[in-house]
Amino acid sequence: MPKRKDIRRILIIGSGPIVIGQACEFDYSGSQACKALREEGYFTILVNSNPATIMTDPNMADVTYIEPLTVDAVTEIIKKEKPDAILPTLGGQTGLNLAYFLMKKGILKKYGVESIGADVSAISRAEDRELFKKAMQEIGIGVPNSGIARNVEEGMKIGLGIGFPLILRPAYTLGGSGGSIAYNKEELEAFLAKGLEISPVHQILVEQSVLGWKEIEFEVMRDCVDNVIMITSMENVDPMGVHTGDSIVVAPSQTLTAEEYVKFVNLSKKIIRKIDIRGGGANIQFAQNPDTGEIVIIEVNPRLSRSSALASKATGFPIARVATKLAVGLTLPEVLNEVTGITTSFFEPTVDYCVFKICRFTFEKFPGTKRILNTSMKAVGEAMSIGRNFREALQKGIRSTETRRFGFGSDGRDKFDDVSLKTPSEDMIAEIKERIRVPGDDRLFYIRYGLKMGLTNDEIYELSKIDRWFIDNLREIVEAEEEIKKHRNEKKDDEIRLPEELLLKAKKFGFSDIQLAFLLNSTENNVRKTRKKNNITPSYKLVDTCGGEFKAKRPYYYSTYETKDESKPSDKKKVLILGGGPNRIGQGIEFDYCCCHASYALKEEGVESIMINCNPETVSTDYDTSDKLYFEPLTVEDVMNIVDIEKPIGAIVQFGGQTPLNISGPLFAAGLNILGTSPDSIDIAEDRKRFQQMLKKLKLKQPENGTATSFDEAKVVAERISYPVVVRPSYVLGGRAMEIVYDEKGLADYMAKAVEASPERPILIDKFLEDAIEVDVDAIADGETCVIGGIMEHIEEAGIHSGDSAMVLPPHTLGKDIIETIKNNTYAMAMELKVKGLMNVQYAVKNNIVYILEVNPRASRTVPFVSKVIGVPLAKLATKIMLGLTLKELGFTKEKAINFVAVKESVFPFIRFPGVDAILGPEMKSTGEVMGIDATFGAAYAKSQIAAGQNLPVKGNVFISVKNQDKRNIIFVAKKLADLGFKIMATSGTAEALENSDIDVVVLPKLHEGRPNILDLIKDAKVSMIINTPSGKATKEDELKIRAHAILYNIPLITTVSGAQASVNGIENLIKKKTISVTSLQEYNKKIKNQK
Amino acid sequence: MKAKLVLENGDCYEGISIGSPGERIGEVVLNTAVVGYQEMMTDPANAGKILVLTYPLIGNYGVASKFNESRRCWLSALVIKEASRIYSNYQAEGSFKDFLKKEDVLTVSEVDTRTLAVDIRDNGEMLGIVSTENTGKEGLLKKIKAAANYKKDYIKDISVKKPAEIKSSSSGPDIAILDIGMLNSFIKQLKTLGCNLTLLPYDTPADDIKKSGADGLIISGGPENDVSLPKVSETVKSLLGKIPMLGISTGHEVIATALGAKLKKLGIGHHGVNYPAKSPDRLKGEITVQNHSFVVDGASVKGRKDITITSRNVNDGSIEGMESRSLKFISCQYYPASPGFDEVNEIYRRFLKTLSGVRHAKA
Repeated sequence: MPKRKDIRRILIIGSGPIVIGQACEFDYSGSQACKALREEGYFTILVNSNPATIMTDPNMADVTYIEPLTVDAVTEIIKKEKPDAILPTLGGQTGLNLAYFLMKKGILKKYGVESIGADVSAISRAEDRELFKKAMQEIGIGVPNSGIARNVEEGMKIGLGIGFPLILRPAYTLGGSGGSIAYNKEELEAFLAKGLEISPVHQILVEQSVLGWKEIEFEVMRDCVDNVIMITSMENVDPMGVHTGDSIVVAPSQTLTAEEYVKFVNLSKKIIRKIDIRGGGANIQFAQNPDTGEIVIIEVNPRLSRSSALASKATGFPIARVATKLAVGLTLPEVLNEVTGITTSFFEPTVDYCVFKICRFTFEKFPGTKRILNTSMKAVGEAMSIGRNFREALQKGIRSTETRRFGFGSDGRDKFDDVSLKTPSEDMIAEIKERIRVPGDDRLFYIRYGLKMGLTNDEIYELSKIDRWFIDNLREIVEAEEEIKKHRNEKKDDEIRLPEELLLKAKKFGFSDIQLAFLLNSTENNVRKTRKKNNITPSYKLVDTCGGEFKAKRPYYYSTYETKDESKPSDKKKVLILGGGPNRIGQGIEFDYCCCHASYALKEEGVESIMINCNPETVSTDYDTSDKLYFEPLTVEDVMNIVDIEKPIGAIVQFGGQTPLNISGPLFAAGLNILGTSPDSIDIAEDRKRFQQMLKKLKLKQPENGTATSFDEAKVVAERISYPVVVRPSYVLGGRAMEIVYDEKGLADYMAKAVEASPERPILIDKFLEDAIEVDVDAIADGETCVIGGIMEHIEEAGIHSGDSAMVLPPHTLGKDIIETIKNNTYAMAMELKVKGLMNVQYAVKNNIVYILEVNPRASRTVPFVSKVIGVPLAKLATKIMLGLTLKELGFTKEKAINFVAVKESVFPFIRFPGVDAILGPEMKSTGEVMGIDATFGAAYAKSQIAAGQNLPVKGNVFISVKNQDKRNIIFVAKKLADLGFKIMATSGTAEALENSDIDVVVLPKLHEGRPNILDLIKDAKVSMIINTPSGKATKEDELKIRAHAILYNIPLITTVSGAQASVNGIENLIKKKTISVTSLQEYNKKIKNQK
Repeated sequence: MKAKLVLENGDCYEGISIGSPGERIGEVVLNTAVVGYQEMMTDPANAGKILVLTYPLIGNYGVASKFNESRRCWLSALVIKEASRIYSNYQAEGSFKDFLKKEDVLTVSEVDTRTLAVDIRDNGEMLGIVSTENTGKEGLLKKIKAAANYKKDYIKDISVKKPAEIKSSSSGPDIAILDIGMLNSFIKQLKTLGCNLTLLPYDTPADDIKKSGADGLIISGGPENDVSLPKVSETVKSLLGKIPMLGISTGHEVIATALGAKLKKLGIGHHGVNYPAKSPDRLKGEITVQNHSFVVDGASVKGRKDITITSRNVNDGSIEGMESRSLKFISCQYYPASPGFDEVNEIYRRFLKTLSGVRHAKA
């Protein structure tokens, strides 16, 4: 069927900020959608609140809106742009929900907008639990037995009817909170009572437990003439009970028989037909009883998902692109398979390798939370690896996560050594068994200990319910490790002595050079040398969708140890781009954005672009982003192997965040040319002493500071520069382990635990500038000219990590002279460091003095934000500079003056980590960002808050409780709120301060004093905003509870006075303006002028 | 024990022997399916072949007798990347490696099957020899050359020796199956439809079939290019138009030759589970299971009014299905595999609808 001609303008909804459960996979799918629609000649309108995405680049869609993803904002866009159709299936759950609410509110009907990809009834059938259950039963597919209870009696009846164990899910609590598992009658009764109380609607779902069953997923696509294809199966290594987003997953499934496979395929087809997706894809999750084969369906996602991104990257089949084409009425046989270039998309991909997905967690950022995985997703990112067997894929996958593990143990970082595992103590046995039984982020390693300790496959299976097939593969790795270790004492100068056959076997098993070096008591370099001497180097194989059946036109590559290399390096001029690896807090989509721009720039300059990355969610690992893509871990070994065969003119390491920078030294030492700013300049910026020398030379100021490797040294430094001080390890990302220390005891505590953070590097100690204003500057330079992209003023005062701060572009309170000083400082440092490419500087301004906090001669987190606001693709220009062009040649020599305001705001994952205090500090905690852009600061700030999910109220009760030193500053805020019609509530201390300033306050009892207290009001939805600044170092119990409740009940929570001031500004704007105004990025870009 | 595969073009692939020892020649074919090793090995259409599985991990879920497609394994040899050390599935009755021993399959493991697959793709399906002995490459090449013109003769062995009845229900139609390699899974589907089946030896005379009173005749799949096929084709020729017929895969090719059409060999055959097929004038098609190296030469049936091409391969346009009202047959080049557990491929229903007489299928 030809594409639809009755629609012309299509609105695409993005997924908003990166949060746990919704990451850059939707940038990948949205970008593919934009391209696919424009290829077909449609006019595309895009809305997404996330400025760090590739999809919001002004040339991806015809019109781009960076506006909040709310019904109000999108309604305004619909009014203005008059789309014929809306495509909601590429923006994750956010996009789908938004479309659903637009339908519910009659907006789609009113403006004649059709939902394509999945119509509203299909969405309802998949999303509404009751409709879904009914639909599945109609086609004879089992769903876990369940019932909804409104009281304990009813719950007991339902539960006993189903049988134990039972899953209890209180209705309408966020993020699966309050859910529990009951194994017997007593527990059921207790949990029912508790769950009913937590649920705001006093309902609880009592469900059959399928814990420990196999979790199998299928990716399915269907077109409008009912062609249905399977993209791939996926098997979760972690069985039911762990969220699939947290599970280790393999593709294709490994333990299903052909008969079972066909059965799943058949069910999947029935399901997608019943849900009735008529031009798109779905992810279907099943649970299968491993002892009987019984299958129940868990969930259907009638849209592109994280799993579909993984399925795409695992098979080479561009699901998002094809789904988009199907959404506009094309059929599968009409869409070309671009990977083969000759076949159509009407086929089912097949693979001749094993794909492994493993997650990246950041429990270390949230001390106090249990490192346990369950049905609420915790992972912030993921890595995918490919091998010819499971063991190889697994070991590559582990080293792809960049958790400083270089394979399945034996890398020098194991908790238990072999000797203790031979004769384990009772405690050790108990601990190891417990950690195998209870899923956590490091369960794999405990299985290794279990294997080494002598547990059998069956014993490990009984504890973990991980299929024996996977366990035995792990056992094979452990056995190989033992075999290798026997040669530990055979040494020869600077080579290792391992029988060639065993060395080859080790590499085929995925052992890294670092692991071999550890096992053989040698060095990575020596292993590498020996390998190369014996010609044991990887061959690169293809991801080609067809298992080699057709010649591939646009494949991508993975390394393995086989007989023939298929990479066919060209003799063109080429450049390597090192990607950022898995998302994590502090390093996410912003860096992928930069890497993609590097690739686009290389293409424009006629240079072959070669991307190395292992993150399946990203645009950078899309098949058509670069000329060549290697799906590989970002380690020295893996990168150098590619360098050896591709022989690039150099590599770009300044765009992928800390990942490529961390290995750039050894890469440079191994002979790889680093493009752009020289490694020596990078060293000056990162080496404390050299940096100080430079500042001295340039006569620039920095806060007083020093370094220390022990507590005694640290004490001396701290006393010299006086408390409070900021302490942190060197070379870290996202303020990892950074703290503000107020006294000697705090310093002692910090030094005691900080050693873990970065052992080879000293601790850095800076004077903490209390109440200073922080400023971020992104600049670009070519060695001769430096142009500032943007100066951003932080909303929150110094001491809060720049990645967590809200920022305003242009600065809204800084004076002209300060800005001038900042500019001049930036120019001076760019010249001194001979920056070729991007540079980020962080300043603190206190008492009109500008201090330099940090210089990073590389892409910063804010590059996409600034680029979009000023309408200049900084990363792209920087790439061209690295190729030798000048800013003059590129036509960017003058700074842009913008006559509107953009605010970047961060979003936080606190809801996922119950019990963790929701306050900001020097350690970065946010997962993503949004942008609010408007004519005034108030309007832009309000938008940024709405987009970030902080629903600034326009009326109601505001609860205020601040620490003593904030009491003076909060008066203005409270007064303003009262003037705007809010009722102010406070506990006695704060109330007194406010009353003294003639503000009417309702005094609430402290938590232990009586009820109703603030917690009761939160539960009863009687508070519309909470301002609570933490009272210094020792957090009070009460505050913690209040903040936790605010998070749980999704009440706007402000934890800084400056944040409160900005919020009041925003609220005032909301009250005044009534409707939200929307302006496209393209319109803003037209308004920008060059600054004189 | 080491083992190797040498191809007609001189390429040599080394690996480890994990099955029976020996030296065997056969045509090297690829199969790109991820699961179903036991089914492929016991598919009589693979008789005499050196089967290369492109999916690298084999044996993970073990074997079970119910997955056998026929009474034994017919391969000349099997070439794989890796055999699983253990098996893990509740249905498994034994390990893959034990199955190799029991079925006497010469098997080479740890072969770079990806490189081999690309070799076959680029150079076409060709003869090869698998050896666990110390014969050098040149010696093996000579043996291939010597065997270059050998005649494939497997159907005699595969086919039932005397008619075998499989009753389902008294009311169902009687279907005769000319057995040149019928699959158990197809029989199961026909039983689901209530058909009473009689498997006939490949050389059953046409008259005997006519006399049997069967409502319809199925020409099964089986080895292609076999010395017995011309005879089967003759039988079919004399039955065309006289009894409703369904030709499956090689059976489809048999009907084509009976019609006077020609077959041609594909450079690389269709062996896998992901082949799209659809009617030329429709957009809706189906993903099919296939296992064949020959196809009906389109030119040889062009312009024939009595034959309709009902389906073509979406990738290469080759003929996937034919039909003729006057000649009373339908046929498919692909395998009419079950679309799901206990479900029946559409083509059997279509076939049953063409049956004359008062008796109708239940389903």
